[in-house]
Amino acid sequence: MKRFEELIAPHLDAAYNLARWLTGNDSAARDVVQESALRAFRFLQRFADGNAKAWFLTIVRNESYTWLKASAGRHWVAIDDDMTTDDGPLSHSQTPELLAIHTENAALLQQALCALPPVFREVIVLKELEDLPYKDIALVVDIPIGTVMSRLARARALLKLELLKLHDHE
Amino acid sequence: MNELDCKVCQTRLHGYLDQELDPATAAQVAAHLSICAECARLHEQAKVLKVSVKRHAPYYRAPASLTASVLAADTPAPGLIQRWQKWLAPAFSAAALALAMVLYIATPGSEQPLIDEAVSSHVRSLMGEHLNDVVSSDRHTVKPWFTGKLDFSPPVFDYSAQGFPLLGGRLDYLQHQTTAALSYAHAKHIINVFILPTSEADKAMQSQSVRGFNVVSWQSAHMRFVLVSDVEKTELEALGQLLRNGS
Repeated sequence: MKRFEELIAPHLDAAYNLARWLTGNDSAARDVVQESALRAFRFLQRFADGNAKAWFLTIVRNESYTWLKASAGRHWVAIDDDMTTDDGPLSHSQTPELLAIHTENAALLQQALCALPPVFREVIVLKELEDLPYKDIALVVDIPIGTVMSRLARARALLKLELLKLHDHE
Repeated sequence: MNELDCKVCQTRLHGYLDQELDPATAAQVAAHLSICAECARLHEQAKVLKVSVKRHAPYYRAPASLTASVLAADTPAPGLIQRWQKWLAPAFSAAALALAMVLYIATPGSEQPLIDEAVSSHVRSLMGEHLNDVVSSDRHTVKPWFTGKLDFSPPVFDYSAQGFPLLGGRLDYLQHQTTAALSYAHAKHIINVFILPTSEADKAMQSQSVRGFNVVSWQSAHMRFVLVSDVEKTELEALGQLLRNGS
């Protein structure tokens, strides 16, 4: 069907990227995207004109979490935003912090991002890699738009910590 | 203007960074950042981190096979005819291509009989004492010898300096045409160079192996050149280059 292709085809990269980051493996990401496309096709009639990318990514995100839960819940950590935000361990001096986060090492960044709980990893992926505006992120991860900023703040703080940890190990 | 406390600012600086704040709030954050070293430091770090991730974190593009299967599989049953239409065109193209390939391979090109004859002639020339009709390494002896015997003027040069001394020349007969055959030596090997006129356009140099012999051929200036020998392909090509360049 023409409409399906028009709506979905442009967002397959974004879909795969999100699924790959959330599931952490290629074949799972493939399955998730396949399944999501199937669902999208089934619910095509219900999708009124609007933001196709956010709509499709919402499906992909849900499918990814379904996969995560099914796969033993190893990576599954439910976290709400009221998690304590004390910046205790952030008492490093300026220079190593900047050194750690100013990295061009893709493998290191990947490792650090993968160490984040999915709910934080996904907002980083959606913001930095997909460049979605807050209102779309709110749609995809199903939180109030007012929460997106604090979720991102928390995610970035955690990512910084992970990078510092990895940096110290080196 | 109401002062922002650091805790609030440390969240809002992310909205500020992502340009998601309304102008009034953005101004508040900017003002706070200009006076608070700690928040300014965190803002700077967040900025660096954002850039690092944006530029260097891997982006996983959908594999082409996935895209193909998603777009194909999720276009279910648009009627049998449409589905046939979708496959018929590529199927016919594939069949046509296969047929063309078979014909191309099975049909001896206009080249092939000549090459075959040239290889046979090369073998014959080595069997008896009929390598050369005119034995000379002097091109001024060999070239005039051809005059009057051929209706074209083959280039004759000696490449002793480059390791391919001219041994001599003879007349041959390939493709129902009188052909100039020059022989060159290379170490212990003999190289036959067949030159015959053609009306066809120039053709780039190509190498092949026929019955264990290496053959290099090309067409230029309305002459066909076929080099046959048992020397290494690269060396035969080197002589080919020399002949092509002339002198």
